[in-house]
Amino acid sequence: MSLKSLTKDWEPMSYGFLDASAKREIRRKTLKAIAVPGCQMPYASREVPMARGWGTGGLQISCTLINLQTTVKVIDQGADDSVNAASIRRFLSRVSGAPTTMDTLKADLIQSRHRIPEEKLREDQVLVLQVPNPEPLRPVQPNMSIARQMHADADYGRMWLQLYEQIVRSGRVMQGASYPSLVHGRFVMTPSPIPRWDVSKMHMAKHLTILSAGREKRLHAVPPYTRVEPLVFDDVPYQVEEHQDLTCARSGAKGFFMNEIPQDDGSSTYEVSDSEFGVKTIRKGDGEPVEIGATWYHAGEMTQ
Amino acid sequence: MAYVATRGGERAIEQSQRLFREEMGTITAARVAEIRRAMPYLIDRVMGEASLYDEDLAALALAQTGGELYEAVLLLRSWRTTQPRLAVAEPVTQDGLFTHRRISAAFKDIPGGQVLGPTLDYAHRILATEVLSDQDYRPEPVEPAARPSPAQQPSVAAWQAENDLLTAAEPDKTAGNDIPDITREPLLFPSKRAHTLQSLARAETGGVLALGYAAQRGYGQAHPTVNELRLAEGEVMVKHPRGTTFSAGRVKISQAEVVNKKGTQLELGFAATLGWNEVKVIAAATLDLNSEGAPKGSATEEEFFLYHTEGVESSGFCIHFKLPHYVTFQSSLDAMRDAKKKKAAKIPEPAE
Repeated sequence: MSLKSLTKDWEPMSYGFLDASAKREIRRKTLKAIAVPGCQMPYASREVPMARGWGTGGLQISCTLINLQTTVKVIDQGADDSVNAASIRRFLSRVSGAPTTMDTLKADLIQSRHRIPEEKLREDQVLVLQVPNPEPLRPVQPNMSIARQMHADADYGRMWLQLYEQIVRSGRVMQGASYPSLVHGRFVMTPSPIPRWDVSKMHMAKHLTILSAGREKRLHAVPPYTRVEPLVFDDVPYQVEEHQDLTCARSGAKGFFMNEIPQDDGSSTYEVSDSEFGVKTIRKGDGEPVEIGATWYHAGEMTQ
Repeated sequence: MAYVATRGGERAIEQSQRLFREEMGTITAARVAEIRRAMPYLIDRVMGEASLYDEDLAALALAQTGGELYEAVLLLRSWRTTQPRLAVAEPVTQDGLFTHRRISAAFKDIPGGQVLGPTLDYAHRILATEVLSDQDYRPEPVEPAARPSPAQQPSVAAWQAENDLLTAAEPDKTAGNDIPDITREPLLFPSKRAHTLQSLARAETGGVLALGYAAQRGYGQAHPTVNELRLAEGEVMVKHPRGTTFSAGRVKISQAEVVNKKGTQLELGFAATLGWNEVKVIAAATLDLNSEGAPKGSATEEEFFLYHTEGVESSGFCIHFKLPHYVTFQSSLDAMRDAKKKKAAKIPEPAE
């Protein structure tokens, strides 16, 4: 036996790009985040070969979880064919050799920016959300160390006040995406900027969601079967985007989150935002044997 | 009608990169060597911001990015992520540095003397346009001084501490892997001293200058006097597995001490970085000088300036706004339209 037979050939980078010490730190912090749902865990966040703000937080989680058996799906704004999603998918398969898919049902690991797929996720699937700003208190307290203290004290008064002020001024809560939500009755989190439409999908979901902000060096998690409740007043119900009656001009799918496409004549058409769901709907309509999974929404209504 | 095939996106990415790279043509070892030779200060700036000291790699990064500095630094930082940690060098001390340039604005003369060293400070900034009409510009040869200045010199702050003008910082005895490392731990506030100095060392020059200048102009309480500015080389002393300590080479270092009168004592601000970058260390030392007791959210508060001078993070975030945001935008449009509808539905009550 020689020393050479015991060692691997030199390679310019580790499997999955990150070295063992980086992966170990992320695994530890992820476990901690799962143990304390919704609580932001600081992590070192190494530089990866993509610019900060382009999914480096999600990428580090994916690089840590990935192996040769992991089938990966990457979406941006719901679309698999978005250029940055294509770039991340290519990077992940390049550094790991993992197979990729666009079908939500076939994916083990889904890295996403700004959307949760329309088909329900299962217990064996992990959703990794890219997060630009992990701090729900940022609009009321830009200072990170004060905000951290406020979370420790569950001091969310200013958060409530902000929502109240919006109702008084504009007649409704004006928060668009990243609606602040209470996780497991303790920590308020920002569910990454997913639309309000998607927030309810996290509530008591079967899958694990890991939310990671590479630039801000924070990760948090929503473990399976965990309460995720948008902050609402008793007399002002939570309102998702009014997309329940919209129909996709391409696939005919109705009652899902849509992209609005402005038209030359001043009107708008709509197409379903979850692109692969749209593709599958079209193919099924053409008579192909396509499996479409159960969806969170039925006829535009959340079912759970 | 089908959705755009994924290949379309991938092809577009590929071709856009080709367009960018075509402009620069073939990158050769000779080009990299020429960049390294001709642009030492640019190389220094990039190495400092990347926190990776390797002139060849820095020159390669510049060649590969066509001089897009943020991209060059990001290339080096992500390359750094893949590198194993073989050893931790011994700390370098100010009085052990091989000093090329050391000046003080606080005293007319200082122990060890004012050593001007290489600088353009007193040059007339006139373009050598004759070069463009094929007349080479040949720098005048340097005439060595009759009496060479000492290579090693104590710090000015050490003299001031001896004379009870300032309280010298307690030397930190932490060694080796126990030294807090900003590249392997998150930055939390109040930040560890090592994290603060490391963050400033790899901060983006322009960012540090902007906030440091704000402090110098009056948004900071402390007015800096440059106690000492030093350009030097530090010996990288590491321990061989056999137990012997040896020098793995020298790295260029710049450091600045700035002081301000606070009651009967001077308070000290300090910064150092890899490579020679005077603007950066003076600005960074000014921020350090001003940070104690700075109001939350002010430009001289540690959390504020450390977050916002991190070049890889700030530039990445800035350009990320180019990414599609139509889902979040759609979500906002929905809230706006609904609010408008609600407002219109409110019929004003008739006057009694």
